[in-house]
Amino acid sequence: MALLDELRELGSNVDEGLERFMGNAALYERMLRKLPDTVKKTDVGGAFANGELKEAEEQAHALKGATGNLSVTPLFEGYTKVVDLLRAGQADQAKAVYDGLIPVQEQVIACIERSE
Amino acid sequence: MTDMTILIVDDIEINRAILTEIFKDEYNIIEASNGVEAVEVLNGDTKISAMLLDLLMPEMDGLGVLREMNRSGQIKSIPVFLITAANSNEMLMEGYNLGAVDIISKPFAPHFLRSRINRVIELYRHRNELESIVAEQVEKLNRMNQSVIETLATVIEFRDCESGEHVKRISGLTNLLLTQVSNTYPEYYLPKAEIEKIALASVLHDVGKIAIPDGILNKPGRLTPEEFEIMKQHTVKGGEILQTIPEIMDAEIYEYSFDIARHHHERWDGRGYPDGLKGDETSIGAQVVAVADVYDALTSERVYKKAFDHDTAVKMIRNGECGTFNEKLLSAFAAVEDKIRRREWLAD
Repeated sequence: MALLDELRELGSNVDEGLERFMGNAALYERMLRKLPDTVKKTDVGGAFANGELKEAEEQAHALKGATGNLSVTPLFEGYTKVVDLLRAGQADQAKAVYDGLIPVQEQVIACIERSE
Repeated sequence: MTDMTILIVDDIEINRAILTEIFKDEYNIIEASNGVEAVEVLNGDTKISAMLLDLLMPEMDGLGVLREMNRSGQIKSIPVFLITAANSNEMLMEGYNLGAVDIISKPFAPHFLRSRINRVIELYRHRNELESIVAEQVEKLNRMNQSVIETLATVIEFRDCESGEHVKRISGLTNLLLTQVSNTYPEYYLPKAEIEKIALASVLHDVGKIAIPDGILNKPGRLTPEEFEIMKQHTVKGGEILQTIPEIMDAEIYEYSFDIARHHHERWDGRGYPDGLKGDETSIGAQVVAVADVYDALTSERVYKKAFDHDTAVKMIRNGECGTFNEKLLSAFAAVEDKIRRREWLAD
């Protein structure tokens, strides 16, 4: 199955994403393929484990921006919640949301990497 | 494609790629992945029409870039849009305070983004253009101001049968002396721009001579007491003439010219004319023109006298043969005497 269709099935708003890339599907896919790397450069889980909440917030914030722009909706919504909870000082709830997000994120990354 | 360039600053390549895609058909695009790179581009040769700036970045963040642009003054001519995934109102507020024009929130909405940014770029282009037109007009006005004043001064000289150089010398000497006085005595300090205005205004010091009859103005011999009383009136007449044309001059230059025309024959001990002002009742500008005028009169040939050499002229001024002057002014004169002797002030 084509990458965009698979991501749509995983809950991504692919039509909105295409629109953002001015209908340029090739560029959209090329940028989607950069997502795994972008994610791997961050370590939100490690930051949580070390109690570096500011760092966790900044990394979650960056991922929220990138996934939002790629319209990978489940990740965008998840990271939005993580950032909001961290800003509200609710670190435990933020960590719980993040933990719930990991399998979804792995699924999305696997799907993108498979398509290469 | 226009010749306009947008600078996109974001550490996440995905975000830069989308923005580039949105704007690449209408603008040249330069990408920077942190604040330091952005500042390098801003300091480079390419004229930037707008900047899209992420706030959270390694090296130097968005606020750092804005601070740098405030320092360099670029914030006035380049519109900056902050890129953000919302949330931190404090940071956005600080961004606005540092001069950002608007906020772009992630995820981007291309069509709105395009029209908003196009509109602001057009607005800034228009404003920058207007500013340069205004600056050109001001420059033109200043030149006209100066030429009106110089024309008036030349008319006076014609009547006075002088070479045409007298007013130029007075202006140069006034500038030199006033600069020295201002640099030496804090109580007489004047900014350079003011000194230049006073030097320009000094060329009109004898404008009142237009109203003095030829027979007296160009009389080869000594004036009778009655004639001298009429001659003295050139100070009052000068003020009156300038009062009839204030609107053709810059307001400040008008004030200075009026003051100088009326008071350049006042003396420190109150024995000058027309108002018998004492000491610093006469402005420092008019005091300086008075000394410059006396020195130039002494060292020039006139219908009623030969020219004295520099040393004789200085001695005569020192001895009070031409009335008394402010001691500080005479010290300043002595300090730049070599330049005056060499006529250096005429150089420019």
